[in-house]
Amino acid sequence: MKLGPKAAATALTVSAALALTACGGTANSGPAAAAATALTIGTIQDVRSWDPAQAHVGHVLQPYQAVYDTLILREPDGKLSPMLATEWKYNEANTKLTVDLRTDVTFSDGAKFDAEAAKANMDHFKKANGPQMAQLASVSDVAVVDADTIDINLSTPDPALEYFLSQAAGLMGSPKALGSEGIKTEPAGSGPYVMDKAASVKDSQTVFNARKDYWNKDLQKYQKLTFKILADITARTNALVSGQVDATILDPKTGKQAEGAKMKLAANEVDWQGLLLLDRDGAKNPALKDVKVRQAINYAFDRKTILDQVMLGQGTPTSQPFGKASGAWTEELENHYSYDPAKAKQLLKEAGYENGLTLEIPAVPNFETQISVVKQQLADVGITLNVGAALTNTFTSDVAAQKYTTMYFSLFQGEPTVAINQIISTKALYNPFKNANPELDAKIEAVRAGGADAGKLAQDVNKYVVEQAWFAPLFRVNQMYYHNSKVDVTPQIQQAVPSIYNYSPAK
Amino acid sequence: MIRFIAKRLGSGVVVLFVVSALTFFLLYMSSGSIARNILGDQATAEQVALKEQELGLDQPLVVRYFAWVGDALTGNLGASWFTSEPVANSLASRIPVTMTMVFTAMILIAICAALIGVAAAVKRGWVDRAVQVGAIIGDSVPGFVIGVILVTVLAIQLGLFPATSTISPDSGADAWVYSMSLPVIALLINGVTGGAQQIRSAVIKQLERDYVRTLRSRGIGEREILFKHVLRSSAPAGLTVLSLQLIGMLGGVVIIEQIFALPGMGPLAVTATTQTDLPVVMGVVMYTVVVVIVVNLLVDILNGWLNPKVRVS
Repeated sequence: MKLGPKAAATALTVSAALALTACGGTANSGPAAAAATALTIGTIQDVRSWDPAQAHVGHVLQPYQAVYDTLILREPDGKLSPMLATEWKYNEANTKLTVDLRTDVTFSDGAKFDAEAAKANMDHFKKANGPQMAQLASVSDVAVVDADTIDINLSTPDPALEYFLSQAAGLMGSPKALGSEGIKTEPAGSGPYVMDKAASVKDSQTVFNARKDYWNKDLQKYQKLTFKILADITARTNALVSGQVDATILDPKTGKQAEGAKMKLAANEVDWQGLLLLDRDGAKNPALKDVKVRQAINYAFDRKTILDQVMLGQGTPTSQPFGKASGAWTEELENHYSYDPAKAKQLLKEAGYENGLTLEIPAVPNFETQISVVKQQLADVGITLNVGAALTNTFTSDVAAQKYTTMYFSLFQGEPTVAINQIISTKALYNPFKNANPELDAKIEAVRAGGADAGKLAQDVNKYVVEQAWFAPLFRVNQMYYHNSKVDVTPQIQQAVPSIYNYSPAK
Repeated sequence: MIRFIAKRLGSGVVVLFVVSALTFFLLYMSSGSIARNILGDQATAEQVALKEQELGLDQPLVVRYFAWVGDALTGNLGASWFTSEPVANSLASRIPVTMTMVFTAMILIAICAALIGVAAAVKRGWVDRAVQVGAIIGDSVPGFVIGVILVTVLAIQLGLFPATSTISPDSGADAWVYSMSLPVIALLINGVTGGAQQIRSAVIKQLERDYVRTLRSRGIGEREILFKHVLRSSAPAGLTVLSLQLIGMLGGVVIIEQIFALPGMGPLAVTATTQTDLPVVMGVVMYTVVVVIVVNLLVDILNGWLNPKVRVS
């Protein structure tokens, strides 16, 4: 059949009319569509298990927040607010935390949240051997006082406990599901969203829908929330630039590409980078025993130039390992070690190393550029840096086994006691030679017993390790979190990625 | 023919067994303390010891290997140390993604490489030179570079395809086709150029042989000589090249899947290796060995079918 000009004209008119109707339809459904908002976040890895006791911190905490409420909510600025806990108070000795709980909350499987449920979660967390089990290490037991009150009894005071209750240790799962096989693949919490298991693919995407009748609508800003798992940074950049995800974490280099595509930056200093001078008693490298040598290493670095060249200026030069938000940070320690190669040489001479000394460090994947710059600047003052074999993926056991006397690394700057437990105390992984002395022990003890003053007391610990040059920090690094103009994002203190409560449809 | 296949299958099983033993012992002996890696830097020594016990790492290596073999024979490849997900489940959900991509690419490579290779061999001249230049470029530019160029131009600038995979249970067949297009094209460009070059050489070699001259002297048409005789004789060489390409592609596909965020074997292999998730690494290795054995077997059968002399040898 051939179409004549008339038929063709009619067909054209009909199609145009249909097209116009279709457009009209879309326009009419506009307001309704706007209410059904969706957020897609590009994330680095999938969760290991949905069992809240296997939850992790940092960027891995985010998906858990979608389905699990925490006892305490951490605001973007670090302030702790009520969530499932309405109030909490320590006893005089800081050894018992009494927590009042909400009574109007249910889990997605119908179980009710109460004191027994909170106790069941904390007991489960303590024995499940999860990656953050240490968060409840100071808790001796949890006692149910009444239906909406628990007492958390501590074996030793722990100023970070309230913070931990806003993190992995505070995630509350349904007591019916805890310890079951099912909760590993399908979460059962009281959070703002429920997982859409049918639409989710392991290691590819996890989809959540807003939970009906969620108790706190203020925290539930989207109808649909998707985490798209994009391990490769090129894939994350492409997904963001092409509009497949609304927000994701990049780095200074890929960030330039995102900025070119008009993406917005929510920068936040979370980690510090630099040298860890681990063998401070000189067990394997006698030179490191001398504080003058460690200080000389600190004076050898032109931190600002390294930051500008290697990290495109994304960060702040510093001499202290404690973060700005920790309370332990002080202005006067920020530039304690300025760039002074002459002074470095002088100190080395006083220590008897005017003819030079050698440090061995492992190569760290992704930090090759930093290590080569550090090597160059140390060579300028007479220190030879021998870069050895690359860190393997089980390097934590090598660190614990005292394999490295010095290493270049990037470390999280958390709450003061978290930082102390990570890099300074004799139990810290990054103090493998267990360096200690009574003066430092007393300062650490004061922080632990310090309650609300812990941050301020940790300034003494900070001052000690800076003056004793336990480390050679170079700079705090910006986490480059980018998002498109459809979403407003508030950075979260001490987190590489924001908590899910910090995203909202753009105004 | 059945005896021939049975013999090949038998040697395949031996290879599988030897590779599993070698991989297992090499991996487990060099992996250090995995328990600490799983638990993170805040873990205490007691926690680490408990985890090692949970994973059975306190058992002697030989005992662990035979336990693994025993389980593997029943189809149980263990569970991931990091996620507790059964390895067999992880493989089952990812193999279809990777295999769809690899087989689509292979079929297209076979067709395109055969057409271009035969054209170059028969026509010679500029077609031949273009194929040779193309082969050098195709061999020297890695697949992932082609992938990145394709994403930048076709996905980000022109918006014709998604920049990363949109495959999910709720997306339809069109999402599959769209998501697979760029990765398949990236694999295709790399494979076709090399394949065409090999097929060209094989066809030229056949065209220069005495039997072709004899056929020509009998007045048989060029078309018949080419399709009935030369192509059949060149096929074994072409098949071998294609099988090698397919095996090589299993490596290249890892990076392609990372770039396009396809939930295939690539990201699983990368994550498992970087985390030292040994049960998963073992699963990935076994899968790869099985694919290699099956591909070789199929090529042998096809060659045997094409050329009966192969069966005798």
